[in-house]
Amino acid sequence: MSSHAMAYARKVTLVDYGREVENEIGKLGEIIESNSVLTTRYNPRWLAIKLLEEDSDIVAKLERMVLSGSLLTEAQRSIAHLREVYGDDVDTIIADRRYGWINGLVRETVRRTDVDRQTLSDKIDKIVTNRVLGIPIFLALMWAVFKITTDVAGPYLDWVDGVIGGPLTNWVVAILGAIGLGGSWVESLFVDGIIAGVGGVLVFVPVMMSLYLALAVLEDSGYMARAAFVMDRLMHALGLHGKSFLPMIVGFGCTVPAFYATRTLANRKDRILTALLVPFMSCGARLPVYVLFASIFFPGNSGAVIFWLYMLGIVTAIVLGIILKNTVFKSKEQSPFVMELPPYRMPTLKGIWFHVCERTGAFVRKAWTIIMVTSILIWALLAIPVGGEGSFADTDVADSAFAAVSGGIAPALKPLGFGDWQASGALVTGFVAKEVVVGTMAQVYDVEEAEEEEAEPTTFFEDMGEIVTSFIGATVDTIKSIPLIVGINLFEDEAEEEPTDLMAAVREGFETASGGHGALASVAFMVFVLIYTPCMVAIAAERHELGDKWTLVSVFGQLALAWLMALVIFQGGKLLGLG
Amino acid sequence: MLRRILNEFESATGGISINELGHRLGVERGALEGMIDYLVHKGQLQNDRAAAVAMCQSGGCASCPGSRGCPFVVETPRAFSIVPKNSD
Repeated sequence: MSSHAMAYARKVTLVDYGREVENEIGKLGEIIESNSVLTTRYNPRWLAIKLLEEDSDIVAKLERMVLSGSLLTEAQRSIAHLREVYGDDVDTIIADRRYGWINGLVRETVRRTDVDRQTLSDKIDKIVTNRVLGIPIFLALMWAVFKITTDVAGPYLDWVDGVIGGPLTNWVVAILGAIGLGGSWVESLFVDGIIAGVGGVLVFVPVMMSLYLALAVLEDSGYMARAAFVMDRLMHALGLHGKSFLPMIVGFGCTVPAFYATRTLANRKDRILTALLVPFMSCGARLPVYVLFASIFFPGNSGAVIFWLYMLGIVTAIVLGIILKNTVFKSKEQSPFVMELPPYRMPTLKGIWFHVCERTGAFVRKAWTIIMVTSILIWALLAIPVGGEGSFADTDVADSAFAAVSGGIAPALKPLGFGDWQASGALVTGFVAKEVVVGTMAQVYDVEEAEEEEAEPTTFFEDMGEIVTSFIGATVDTIKSIPLIVGINLFEDEAEEEPTDLMAAVREGFETASGGHGALASVAFMVFVLIYTPCMVAIAAERHELGDKWTLVSVFGQLALAWLMALVIFQGGKLLGLG
Repeated sequence: MLRRILNEFESATGGISINELGHRLGVERGALEGMIDYLVHKGQLQNDRAAAVAMCQSGGCASCPGSRGCPFVVETPRAFSIVPKNSD
């Protein structure tokens, strides 16, 4: 700054920091003015204010200078005095005055009309966050999300299933046959273990991509903030802690970070209560289970079935929350908070594609690690003969170690309509990861069917041609599926699609186990999956946050509640003549 | 001005939007956001969203990318609350 500009600046005082602060600024200013070294470098008032703010850079520079010791000592004395007078840090007092001055300046100089004040986002928010319309709009959007993930993703799901069960399996069998391992336990491991287990989960990649696509659009557009705002208002109206919405929203993606997010709640009772409710927000890992069963038993209404499952989870959390809040976790404390509602914006294709790829990649990574290891373990247990004829990897699955262990649990699930070893075994493996339920079913059901198939041999190029043509067909069907969201069916014939071997086997298994009430048993099964204990990683996170006692309460509480709700659905449905 | 913001936080009974807070205080949204950020910097307010998404340190699930952040975390809005004096 030139000496002329510095001299001018010395005379101009823009912000009045109050009498006490100005007195101290004046005292420090006089000391600075008496030091010519300082005055050639700094405006005295500016330097005095920086010292009172305890600016670390300025203090460090002055400490290196000679003859500044008395200035720094005096600054500390001034700070102590002002802290005593105001009861707050001096930099906060100074900042407070500055913002007050800025606000006053803006109010004096800026003229806004009512039209300017209300942006497009504000106008949209008048509807979207309206006390009456907010919840219905939220529900409608969620319904659309699940219609997209089921109806629109369906053709690609079938395509992936065809590729994995067809050409991919053929190539693996051919390669193993070429190296002399055809028909061995190694082939069984690859085909009935890895491909069936991991493939059974990877089949749902198109479904997960659709879900992630819809979520990305809602997030990037800014709507998710409004959804959180609407949910917070609802929870507050029901007497629950409004800040619980953050962990619950996170729980829709994954329960693990949702548990950690409960730390934002100051009160321990609120933290525990929220952590107990978070698992009922159905995480993305459970979606493949819902899609599989909804497609088998409710092929025309799978999107609606899945929507109502998510709603059931939310309602269960709210009802349980109200009960616990008024009994075990009574607390009148309500921490207020301010939430940002960012302006709406048009999502970009690049941004959406990035989010979809990031999440889908994480889903596939999970399949190739945790789920593959689990599939191999399940295959091994299915391959070990127990009590029947056969040898390792050459035994009836019903006589396997897996069937023996699962069969021990099955009687407890009989009243729920799915008391066979296959379903109970699948639920147990769900503790590893919820997607494993589907992978396990592909192993325990499909294994029996695959032995009966005799596929015609095809060449590699025939397989590649089939993959490409079926992909094109799936793409066309996907485009034709889009109007299904609004109930318009562009498919020419209404003939039901041929179910896959797995779907047929699961249907037959549930019909048998439930005594002919397969659809009802499938609803009970899906509700059980919705409510029962989350995966082992989530339990570890819960234990980290809540400790052993509350984790045990949560684990066994959810198991008991899942059992009860499934029982009510199955037995109650039978009494009413449903399913 | 900063004290008025903290007073509004303390007297609120639930969640309010930044727009609504600005309307109550007669403060422009841009200035209000700056003041809130300052109070977060001073440790008198906490950024709940940043705290929520940063807390996951599990590293336990195969999809955990560690410091890059969990890809399954659903985007939530920024939310601010008063830092409790004696949180239990």
